[in-house]
Amino acid sequence: MEFEQILFYVFSFWFVASSLAMIFSRNAAKAVLFLILSFFSAASIWILLEAEFLAITLILVYVGAVMVLFLFVIKMLNIDKSTLRAKFAGYLPLGLMVAAVIIAEMVLVLGSAQFGLDVVAAPVRHGADYSNITVLAMQLYTTYVYPFELAAVLLLIAIIAAITLVHRNEINRKKQSIPEQVNVQAKDRVRLVSIASPNKEKK
Amino acid sequence: MENIYLAIALSPLLGAIIAGFFGGILGRKATHTITILGVLVSTVLALYVFNHHVLEKGEIFNQNLYTWMQVGGLNVSVGFLIDNLTSVMLVVVSFVSLMVHIYTIGYMDDDAGYTKFFSYISLFTFSMFMLVMSNNFMQLFFGWEAVGLVSYLLIGFWHHKESAVEANLKAFLVNRVGDFGFLLGIGLVLAFSGSLDYMEVFSSLSATAGVELWGLDLITVICLLLFVGAMGKSAQVPLHVWLPGSMEGPTPISALIHAATMVTAGIFMVSRMSPMFELSDVALTVVMVVGAITALFMGLLGIVQNDIKKVVAYSTLSQLGYMTVALGVSAYSVAIFHLMTHAFFKALLFLGAGSVIVAMHHEQDIRKMGGLYKKMPITYITALIGTLALIGFPGFAGFYSKDMIIEAVHFSSLPYADWVYYAVVAGVFITAFYSLRMFFLVFHGESRVDHHTAEHLHEPAKSITVPLIILAIPSAVIGYFTIEPMLFTGWLDNAITVSSSHVSMAGLKSEFHSAGAMISHAVSTLPFWMMVGGIVTAWVFSLYRTQWADWVMNKCHRSYYVLDSLYGFDRFNEIVFVNGVKKLGNLLWKVSDMGLIDKMAVNGSARLVGFIGSVVRPIQTGYVYHYAFFMIFSLLIILTWVLFAGDNPLLQIEF
Amino acid sequence: MVSLSDYLILSAIIFCIGLVGIFVNRTNIITLLMCVELILVAVNTNFIAFSHFLGNEAGQIFVFFILTVAAAEVAIGLAILTLLFRNKGSINVDVTNSLKG
Repeated sequence: MEFEQILFYVFSFWFVASSLAMIFSRNAAKAVLFLILSFFSAASIWILLEAEFLAITLILVYVGAVMVLFLFVIKMLNIDKSTLRAKFAGYLPLGLMVAAVIIAEMVLVLGSAQFGLDVVAAPVRHGADYSNITVLAMQLYTTYVYPFELAAVLLLIAIIAAITLVHRNEINRKKQSIPEQVNVQAKDRVRLVSIASPNKEKK
Repeated sequence: MENIYLAIALSPLLGAIIAGFFGGILGRKATHTITILGVLVSTVLALYVFNHHVLEKGEIFNQNLYTWMQVGGLNVSVGFLIDNLTSVMLVVVSFVSLMVHIYTIGYMDDDAGYTKFFSYISLFTFSMFMLVMSNNFMQLFFGWEAVGLVSYLLIGFWHHKESAVEANLKAFLVNRVGDFGFLLGIGLVLAFSGSLDYMEVFSSLSATAGVELWGLDLITVICLLLFVGAMGKSAQVPLHVWLPGSMEGPTPISALIHAATMVTAGIFMVSRMSPMFELSDVALTVVMVVGAITALFMGLLGIVQNDIKKVVAYSTLSQLGYMTVALGVSAYSVAIFHLMTHAFFKALLFLGAGSVIVAMHHEQDIRKMGGLYKKMPITYITALIGTLALIGFPGFAGFYSKDMIIEAVHFSSLPYADWVYYAVVAGVFITAFYSLRMFFLVFHGESRVDHHTAEHLHEPAKSITVPLIILAIPSAVIGYFTIEPMLFTGWLDNAITVSSSHVSMAGLKSEFHSAGAMISHAVSTLPFWMMVGGIVTAWVFSLYRTQWADWVMNKCHRSYYVLDSLYGFDRFNEIVFVNGVKKLGNLLWKVSDMGLIDKMAVNGSARLVGFIGSVVRPIQTGYVYHYAFFMIFSLLIILTWVLFAGDNPLLQIEF
Repeated sequence: MVSLSDYLILSAIIFCIGLVGIFVNRTNIITLLMCVELILVAVNTNFIAFSHFLGNEAGQIFVFFILTVAAAEVAIGLAILTLLFRNKGSINVDVTNSLKG
């Protein structure tokens, strides 16, 4: 049992465990925290796979921004405080069964017969002066520069879309101003008008 | 010659068109002059044709004048077949039509539809000419239908009278039943011979020997079906029910259509088809028996009628039965002879009845008449001549024709011929009885006319009485002069075929000496004494002791009830056919149309779609995770399929 | 030595956990979005494993872009969630049944 393997099993254990905990937890904030843990495990595995830049990016961008965003929304909508019933019973067996079957089939496909070490050899590890960022950058800014620019535009559009969705336009809205309503007086609302009576005889 | 035939047919048509479309503009006098001129032209030309063909023994004219359609191998055209039979019919039809046209001037004088009436009777004359002169089944059927149509129009001429409208519908429908059989017969003729032309059909008759259809000989089936058509048109039992109702129409048409011409179309058709009928004894027997039933039982009904036109109507039915009997015993020329004499004296009787009706201000019940002979001498004498002709008084026309029929039955060797003989002999008694009863009740005895009518009672106008006089002449003498040539010296030989196994004509010929000898011989024959018995009985019950008539009626009230309800034919038709069809229609409407088609097919398919929709709709739950689950499940299925099943599974599993 | 298939099986397991989470979850929509993130991370792991074992950087570039798009998608998803909360008052999954047939 090599050190690499031990690391791999430890990290993957935490990965799986925290994912399971995330989907079965009732508290939304706890679920987010479990997810953060699983992302950390994923980043560790990525470092094992010599993708250091992406591992760090995962931590910084994903965990640092996206998960924090999740927490913001949860705290804003006060979801963690409300009691939410988790009805698992009905669909859980069925779902687990379907998942188990999918996993079994995928294991069959992805098993060691097709992708084992004798089929795909373990690569030679890079030396100490290997810079993952440089290699990625060389590819990114030459071959894949158009998708790169497009990704930037996509982010811009996402910003605009998110703001447009949630933005409350003050001009077209009618809303109450409670202090104004309370300070209203009769003379602002009622006006007495005298009209000639049609039948003078009947009083 | 061809143009003469065309002129005979087309001049009444021309008169009808002018009177129909321009009658209002031209006015009454011009209209009746034009139409009478048209029929007069036809009559003169018909006499000329008769002279040419019969007296001068001219050649038979058989030519197609106009090809109407050609379908496959079938050629249907308008053509004329003029032989002696046609010539005789032409003379009869045109002469009676001319008399009726003149008579109408006086009879329909105060009617608003004067010009329309002339147009119709001219149209009828045209249709009858086309029927008689045709040389193929299609034109025959055209004429057949056309006379039926004009009869319908004329019976319901007074269309505001509900009874008239019911009667004309009944006539048309019953005729339709007959026409249905007729069409089936024509269809069979077409099927086996491939042609509708008379001569081609007759020449291919030998091919039908031995061919069977529905258990009978093919030729028997064809003849029976054709006879069904004749039964409808000539009002044999049970398709007779329309004729009494047709008395709702004005009297001139009763004389023209329902006595002399249209109802004789059936008799004419069977005579024309004599080559076919001679080949089937079964058909001839049926014809004879049906005719005998009609002759006897319709005559019985004539005894209890109280409407003057109805008596003459049932008399017509009975005489048509006599003609049919003659056809059945293969004495075709005798049938045509009786047709001719009957046309004259029956038209005379109808027109005389019309004259009485006009004088009595349209009162038709004979129990309210009596003693009219003093006030209407011309009508009286002509009616007397007509009645004597009808009952077969020796010397008058009817005597010769009726006695010939009875003798022909006597000679026949068909099964049931003896029963038929008794029936026709009894019919003589009955004929005499009802005729003289009517005669005595109308013209003799104490006057039962109501006071107001009696004051205005007088002989009607000349236009009514002159045709009566003219018709009385042939009723009296034509029998004496034409019996020998028509029956025995071959006036009709080139038209009628009689097979040698049917011996009636041969028997008649062997017994006949001369017309005069027949009169002197008459006193020793049974029919003569039957006639005398009838006259005496009528005199007793109508003049001598009228209270005995009431006594007999009360004593035999059950028989009277049977006769009064016309043997229940009308009730039967009403209950079985009318109600049956109404119930069937109701059933088809409620069950089939509303239930099956509307509810199940139309609404049902809509409801089915809705039902399927309501079953499938719950799949749209609205929850995303349901949709996701379905997607994942489908993914699983696809994965499994790709991996294990199919043509090229990705994994080969060895278990 | 850890073989490629180990990494692939790991990512398959995580993927299925994410799938299960989507339709087993009955609590709230946030969990739904988080399961989607889980699926994305499993796919990313897959790409990086292949990139490592086949020596091709294209896999890592692809992960780069997936991360970008995922971030954008989360932003918009949460915006929609906020709107949903405004209109419906709660973010229980059961409130999103307006398209019920």
